[in-house]
Amino acid sequence: MEATKSEVTRRDFFTGAAYGTLGLALGLKGLPRRAGAAEPFAAEKPVSTVVLVRNEAAVGPDHQINAKVVAEMLDAAVTAFSGEADALKAWKRYFRPDDTVGIKFTRCGWMTVPTEPEVTEAIAARLRDAGVPAARIHVKDYGMPLKECTALVNVPSIKAHTLTGIAVSVKNYICFASGKLERYHGDGSAKLGETWLLPDVKGKTRLVIVDALRPYFGPGPQLNPLHRWDYKGLLVGTDPVAVDTVCLRLCQVKRNLFKGEEWPLSPPAKSIAAADTEYHLGTSDPTKIKLVKLGWSDGVLI
Amino acid sequence: MWMREQRLLVLVAGVFGLFAAAALTQEPGDRAMQIGTLLPRQIDGWRAGADDKTFTRDTIFEYMDGAGEIYLAYDFQRLLVRQYAKAGAPALAAEVYQMESSEDAFGIFSHDLDGQEVALGQGARYAAGFLRFWKDRVFVRLLAERETDETRAVLMALGKQIASAIPREGKRPLLVDCLPTEGLLSDSVRYFHKQVSLNCYYYLADGNLLNLSERTEAVLGRYQRGEHKVWLLVVRYPDAQEARSAHEQFQRIYFRGKPSAESPARVEKVERGEFVSVQWEDRFLTLVFEAQDKETCVRLSDAVTGKLKEVSAWKRQRAK
Repeated sequence: MEATKSEVTRRDFFTGAAYGTLGLALGLKGLPRRAGAAEPFAAEKPVSTVVLVRNEAAVGPDHQINAKVVAEMLDAAVTAFSGEADALKAWKRYFRPDDTVGIKFTRCGWMTVPTEPEVTEAIAARLRDAGVPAARIHVKDYGMPLKECTALVNVPSIKAHTLTGIAVSVKNYICFASGKLERYHGDGSAKLGETWLLPDVKGKTRLVIVDALRPYFGPGPQLNPLHRWDYKGLLVGTDPVAVDTVCLRLCQVKRNLFKGEEWPLSPPAKSIAAADTEYHLGTSDPTKIKLVKLGWSDGVLI
Repeated sequence: MWMREQRLLVLVAGVFGLFAAAALTQEPGDRAMQIGTLLPRQIDGWRAGADDKTFTRDTIFEYMDGAGEIYLAYDFQRLLVRQYAKAGAPALAAEVYQMESSEDAFGIFSHDLDGQEVALGQGARYAAGFLRFWKDRVFVRLLAERETDETRAVLMALGKQIASAIPREGKRPLLVDCLPTEGLLSDSVRYFHKQVSLNCYYYLADGNLLNLSERTEAVLGRYQRGEHKVWLLVVRYPDAQEARSAHEQFQRIYFRGKPSAESPARVEKVERGEFVSVQWEDRFLTLVFEAQDKETCVRLSDAVTGKLKEVSAWKRQRAK
């Protein structure tokens, strides 16, 4: 007897009968493997590629961000992702001088897990180098002038979330919705993907650049400093679902290490699964994702 | 003259203190709890900023977006946020949450118990520049921008001052006392009401499988059984009929595909070689997850039944 949508249970999740790609992304024990499937995040013919760059000097001992190192990491990641010969060519591949670009960061002031300003500043600087005038670069959380924007850069932080399991790029556009945002809270926030399909948003995202300098993996609802660590990374891609899936694995591995046992992100990140299967924004199947890792490898975890 | 003025000041302070204490001891139903009186304007050189912020059930999302749902699930009433600053030192942030009941203050405190246990209020944890505790109907979070020896000391001092200003202790949830103690991992204990909270601690289902609501109480705990760990969930419903209805629904959905059973107690083997049980008695459901054998389910469930019978408040209710 098959489950209806509202009757999906833990048993379905942990056997892969529901949200199978999420379970695989989390590395849950005992999940069935598809014959011939690639190892997670090692697809030889990937549907999506995600680049991860890390640098030990990106975050100092007192958690200060090194802006110069972050800018270098950004260049390395975007260049590698684009396949271009140098950083400027890479940025010009994605942005034109006549673009109006919205850099959508996560303020998350109440939880103090924001996108670090050094990341958004580095992006804005490269956009200017690529010929986009400063007056047409908007760095915003709320209040993005979406109608003016011809291009968006999605720049979230990484945090485990009490309602969605994890909040990264798929959730980052919730600010673009009108009306009461509480309507996205129900059903594991499965509807978040629809914010990407809003008329003033759809098709504009040129890059997803995730601030993985100091991710948060705890149960929330607010910050416990024990549950944050200096990963010192940035992730770059164009597929938000694939990027978020990589982040799922990262947080899950960290949680397991912290507790010394499996500590599943809870609730399951339905918004990521739905962004794949309902809104077709990308792939949440780790066997279809290729993760390219650059730079510092100590503690890479994935 | 100066002495008389001094005596007058003491008298006024005393009367003020009495009012403050009276406000804090007001019974549920009286909304005017003066949580603002709990926070000092200055402590050890840190001074309060000019603008406090207050939030209610209607405005909590303005402060913490969707995370407000967790507080609402614990019947949060009011929040006061105050910032403190000291030249050359990390800033501090204080959040004082007034909950509807001391049980809910305990509950929201139990949401995250990672950190070092400290003796403050009725339960407290500290980690890396973050202190939180509960006392009576109040839950307090104190966070330093950065942990130093100085900020650790001032957080403790501030916490003690706030705790002292709350005149009495409140009741822990009675349901927590129904957890058997043998093998209980104390930091795993969670008290809550609604599905949104259960989903944070132990994802059971997309739907509200157990019909949890503001009218139910639930406690979750984890037990060491040999090399394995087992989850125990006890839910108290408003009445036996609602408990029975949840019992039937749980079996129908969670044990989907297995032959139905009429017994109030049922154990099933599921995936990964684990056992799950559900037991209905009066207005209570007792569930065990991730057990390695049937006997563990039965013993834990029986231990809960025994505990429920011990608890005198429910004995009185059962006698009605």
